[in-house]
Amino acid sequence: MMPGPQSSLDAAGSAARVTGHLLWLFVIPLAIIFVIVVAIAVVAIFRKHRESGRPAVETERGLTRMVTGASVLTCVILLGLIAVSVSTGKAISDRAMPRNALTIEVTGNQWWWSVRYLNDDASLIVTTANEIHVPVGRPILIRGVSADVIHSFWVPGLIGKRDLIPSRVTTEWFTAEREGNYRGQCAEFCGLQHAHMAMWVVAESPARFQAWMNAQLGDSANPVTPAEQQGQKVFLEHACALCHTIRGTTANGQVAPDLTHLASRLTIAAGTLPNNRGNLAGWITDPQSIKPGNHMATVPLAAEDLHPLLDYLGSLR
Amino acid sequence: MTHPLVTPAGPPRVWDEQQDREALARTWHDPEGFLGWFYATTHQAIGKRYILTAFLFLLAGGVEALLMRIQLARPENHFLGPDRYNQIFTMHGTTMMFLFAVPVMEGMAVYLVPLMLGTRNVAFPRLNAFGYWMYVMGGIFLYANAATGAMPDAGWFAYTPLSGPQYSFGKGVDAWAQMITFTEISALCVAVEIAVTTFRLRAPGMSLNRIPLYCWSMLIQSFMVIFAMPAVMVASTVMLLNDRTIGTHFVNPAEGGDPILYQHVFWFFGHPEVYIIFLPALGFISAIVEANTKREVFGYPALVLSQVATGFIAFGLWVHHMFATGLPQIGEAYFTAASMMIAVTTGIQIFCWLATLWSGKVRMTAAMHFVFGFLFIFVMGGLTGVMLASIPLDLQSHDTYFVVAHFHYVLIGGALFPLFGAFHHWFPKITGRMIGERLGKLSFWLLFIGFNTTFFPMHILGLNGMTRRIYTYPASLGWASGNMIATVGAMIIALGGVVFIVNAIASLRSSVSAAPNPWNAPSLEWSVESPPPDWGFTYQPVVSSRSPLWADPALRTVVTGMRNDRREIMVTGVAEAEPQFRTVLPAASLWPFLAALGISIGFTGSIFAFSWYYVGAFLGALGMIGWFWPRPPKEIEP
Amino acid sequence: MSPARTLDVSALPPYEISNRAPLWWGQLLMAVIEGSLFCVLIAMYFYYRISVDVWPPPGVKPLGLTLPTVALIPLILSAGGSYAATEGAKRDDRRLMLAGLTANILLAIVFLVLRFIEWRTFNFTWASDIHGSIVWSILFLHTFDVIADLLMTAILIGIVADGRHGPKQRLGVHVDSVLWYFLVLIWLPFYVVVYWGPRLVGSR
Ligand code: HEA
Ligand code: HEA
Ligand code: HEC
Ligand code: CUA
Ligand SMILES: [Cu+2]
Repeated sequence: MMPGPQSSLDAAGSAARVTGHLLWLFVIPLAIIFVIVVAIAVVAIFRKHRESGRPAVETERGLTRMVTGASVLTCVILLGLIAVSVSTGKAISDRAMPRNALTIEVTGNQWWWSVRYLNDDASLIVTTANEIHVPVGRPILIRGVSADVIHSFWVPGLIGKRDLIPSRVTTEWFTAEREGNYRGQCAEFCGLQHAHMAMWVVAESPARFQAWMNAQLGDSANPVTPAEQQGQKVFLEHACALCHTIRGTTANGQVAPDLTHLASRLTIAAGTLPNNRGNLAGWITDPQSIKPGNHMATVPLAAEDLHPLLDYLGSLR
Repeated sequence: MTHPLVTPAGPPRVWDEQQDREALARTWHDPEGFLGWFYATTHQAIGKRYILTAFLFLLAGGVEALLMRIQLARPENHFLGPDRYNQIFTMHGTTMMFLFAVPVMEGMAVYLVPLMLGTRNVAFPRLNAFGYWMYVMGGIFLYANAATGAMPDAGWFAYTPLSGPQYSFGKGVDAWAQMITFTEISALCVAVEIAVTTFRLRAPGMSLNRIPLYCWSMLIQSFMVIFAMPAVMVASTVMLLNDRTIGTHFVNPAEGGDPILYQHVFWFFGHPEVYIIFLPALGFISAIVEANTKREVFGYPALVLSQVATGFIAFGLWVHHMFATGLPQIGEAYFTAASMMIAVTTGIQIFCWLATLWSGKVRMTAAMHFVFGFLFIFVMGGLTGVMLASIPLDLQSHDTYFVVAHFHYVLIGGALFPLFGAFHHWFPKITGRMIGERLGKLSFWLLFIGFNTTFFPMHILGLNGMTRRIYTYPASLGWASGNMIATVGAMIIALGGVVFIVNAIASLRSSVSAAPNPWNAPSLEWSVESPPPDWGFTYQPVVSSRSPLWADPALRTVVTGMRNDRREIMVTGVAEAEPQFRTVLPAASLWPFLAALGISIGFTGSIFAFSWYYVGAFLGALGMIGWFWPRPPKEIEP
Repeated sequence: MSPARTLDVSALPPYEISNRAPLWWGQLLMAVIEGSLFCVLIAMYFYYRISVDVWPPPGVKPLGLTLPTVALIPLILSAGGSYAATEGAKRDDRRLMLAGLTANILLAIVFLVLRFIEWRTFNFTWASDIHGSIVWSILFLHTFDVIADLLMTAILIGIVADGRHGPKQRLGVHVDSVLWYFLVLIWLPFYVVVYWGPRLVGSR
């Protein structure tokens, strides 16, 4: 039961860190209260056995004093808890966000995430899916929207939840404080494959982040080997292109993850499988058995088409 | 010891108790036989049916829980697929909340409240029967739909738009939405019953400050039902079902509707709902503690007032279920503060019971074991509730197993354990047989250990990022061991359940019959034989103390002069319970059943076409005409 | 059991047709239930109202004021019929009961007819947009309750005309009036919200 890559106990983001401190500010006094209450109850059982049935010695007035005191103490403790909670809430609220934030728009889809790095200059907008890269030290503003039902954006190691709601925009922000890969998962029940709607957030040094951005900004790599060229043809001539976009080609479907730089990603199918050739092959030939009910159609492919297609997808760095 | 209400003068009347009992038996006995079963209107018969039916649904919900736990025991398990799993957790939550927890509390109240108040039946016996039939039919309706494949799968609060027409196909969600109407009508019927019974039918002399604490809990709970339940009907029927069946746009953002409003309306009901389940349980605790510490519960006014306060505050907290939707800052601070302040009203009650236990002489019956189990489990659940009320903490734990742990701690610790305690406590009264104490304690320990084994690890799972409502999870996240422990715990709970059932059945068959007051408890239901006769009290007692059976074990002041040849009860004043006039309750009748059946037909059809409501209204109206039609002279003559 | 003291209640009246009767309390609580339902609907109405700029939505003809305002007259008068019936019930005056109930039912029918005529002028349904959905829900639920109460009144008329009424049925007349007062009263805020609301309340 140790913290894994999706634990809120191992915080590496500004919001998650202060919340982690708050957790202990709550847990410790509450645990003490719990122990006291249970101890009093247990002693009350055995006390009477010892006194072998002598009538109670406490006066009602004494009891009244105790109960009143405990109630007043409860109020005081609660006021303290409210105060620390509200002040933490202020610290992570939108109003406390520093200025130079990087805005990332996350759209929830049944059951994957599309991600856009917003920019006033339209040519600098990066689109990707199921994986978010952030530079350490810079505030990140998550702008949440939804394409269908309500989802919830949550990366426990970095930041708490924010629902993605159709017809609304929700926001939250954090600063990654430590490099690493953090797993996030959709937290609001969104239907059949809610369990397989995860994502990875990669927090890296500003330099590496900039390099990644530059790579993502470009169009897809042109196929080089004959197999890759064959694979591209397969992709474009099959239904794939109706749903997926690969920038730099004619594929510009809008209802599925952008595959322009697929090979640079850690996982496929919203965190369901590690991104490697074998898994990709399994996914493309039979997505429904890997993630039953997901919205990718099984596209019948000739046996000789699969390997070129995998070569091509593998080249999309 | 003269009672102010009792006219001192006049010779003691002479009467023949045996003869009176025979006459009352003729008047109050419900018809026999299979068909007669559908006629019953005595509160004891109806109450027992409620309790039994609700326990059957507990079994169903429990089996569903076990299926979920088997699926989650190991990562990447293939025992249940995503569709089945989603259906099963929806059915589990729905069954437990709507078909078990609320009805079982209503049922206990229907049985106990009239006896505790010293009257012969609830104020509206036919409405009472009608409520029960609506409940049963609602349960059958949901499960019959499920059996034909229309199982809801959108969770127990069916958030839109997922549950809306665009994303949930089939009739499952419709069945869910309409089931709520059934159970809600039932709960409202009982709430009206209980409130009027408590206000108007108390035994003479039982002024407000002498009402047993359990009855206070039920009175407050009834008002919460009255104010909360209509909201869920708006959410489930007006908003969700009409959007699905006749194309309204309440939750459709494209036409100005709003999915978040659905959440507001649902939780405006949903939060009070959890206290609707919880308050009756607090009443059980007071009654059991009182009987088993040989002293009045400490702080009667404090307990009553804090429950009243809970009732009020509960309507101002609903937004704490929606923190993750994003709120204006000022709202955040308010809802955090309000949610935490309810810990004060609950804390006061805990302290009062602790004071009672501390200064009383504790007798550790099986029922008392459950009281201590309650203290342990509920307090822990309440404290995690306080954590959830903090917005930053909630943003990390919302929709994770931390919340699952919280609400099972409060629901099972705060409602189920007191209920099981109450079951052991009143079993002798209801069945006339003593309950096996040893097996009772064994089942307590199994349930207690099993419960903590199941649900404690869930706190850690939640903090480690395990979201709820997922049918499977990868091995790499470190959730496997916690889940395995939880599943083992659930099996121990089930074992405890088996012992519980075995004990109940064995005790029913045993020959140890129960005396009227085996625990030497102070309230009026213990003054009549076990099980009580259909008419409850042959002579209604006159009350002059908060603990009438301790003040005067033989209850030597009684009411005479009521007619035995019709179902007469006495109406007393709201505050002082001074006798005002007599009134006649209707006799047993088939009409409540028929009316419920007619309305059920309409509701069932309504998930297919709106016009079935008219059919239901017509049939229901026919039933009501029969129900209210004047009967031969005995009932209507002055 | 050997009771030492008794409280003899045989002299107490076996019935009371007043606001002290349990049935009256039950009816009151039923009205509270309906009332909280209607409160939720009104809250919803304003929630939807303030979240858009144009209300009712473009293309929806604003609701006329004349017919619903005229319809208030028979509705309010009908409560007088209920009052007369109640007085009749208390005094066991069969003719007054009959007259009151009949006046009540006739005036209520006039109200309903006016309402149905008005509905035919609407150019939207519950499925047009959110305004239609909420307005029709309010109108439908209120109308449904009114018709249910009229049915009850009709049955009571039948019973009283037939002379089969005992104290219980007289009490029935009394509580029937309680429900009717409630339905009249609750209509007033609805009337203001549904017909005046769009004119008086702006967007957020
Ligand atoms: C019996 C039912 C019951 C009860 C009694 C409670 C009691 C409380 N609940 Fe719980 N709750 C549920 C049933 C219940 N809850 C359910 C079913 C859900 C989930 C629904 C779903 O999503 O499916 C839920 C969810 C829930 C949430 C939303 C979580 C989320 O989804 O993100 C929150 C947040 O504030 C919350 C808070 C509280 C609080 C503050 C109390 C308080 O009333 C607790 C008060 C009690 C104590 C605090 C202990 C005793 C007090 C003392 C010993 C005094 C000393 C204490 C202090 C000084 C702190 N509950
Ligand atoms: C009063 C309410 C109540 C009760 C008593 C329980 C009881 C139990 N609940 Fe549950 N639960 C809810 C209310 C309740 N629950 C709600 C509201 C939800 C949310 C649903 C949603 O998300 O929509 C939920 C969700 C929920 C989940 C989360 C599902 C998910 O999010 O994916 C889990 C997972 O472990 C769970 C487990 C259990 C278990 C193991 C029990 C056990 O305690 C049950 C034990 C009982 C029995 C087993 C029956 C008694 C046994 C016998 C009589 C023995 C005979 C039977 C056999 C041998 C089979 N419950
Ligand atoms: C009907 C639309 C549709 C078609 C046709 C389709 N896909 Fe997909 N694809 C999707 C959707 C939707 C997803 C996201 C599934 C999920 O994770 O729930 C997806 C996911 C993927 C992914 C994983 C992307 C990621 O980052 O997680 C790959 C790779 C992929 N598709 C490749 C293909 C190929 C190759 C084809 C053609 C042989 C194809 N798809 C045809 C809809 C489609
Ligand atoms: Cu998306 Cu859950
Ligand atoms: Cu709540």
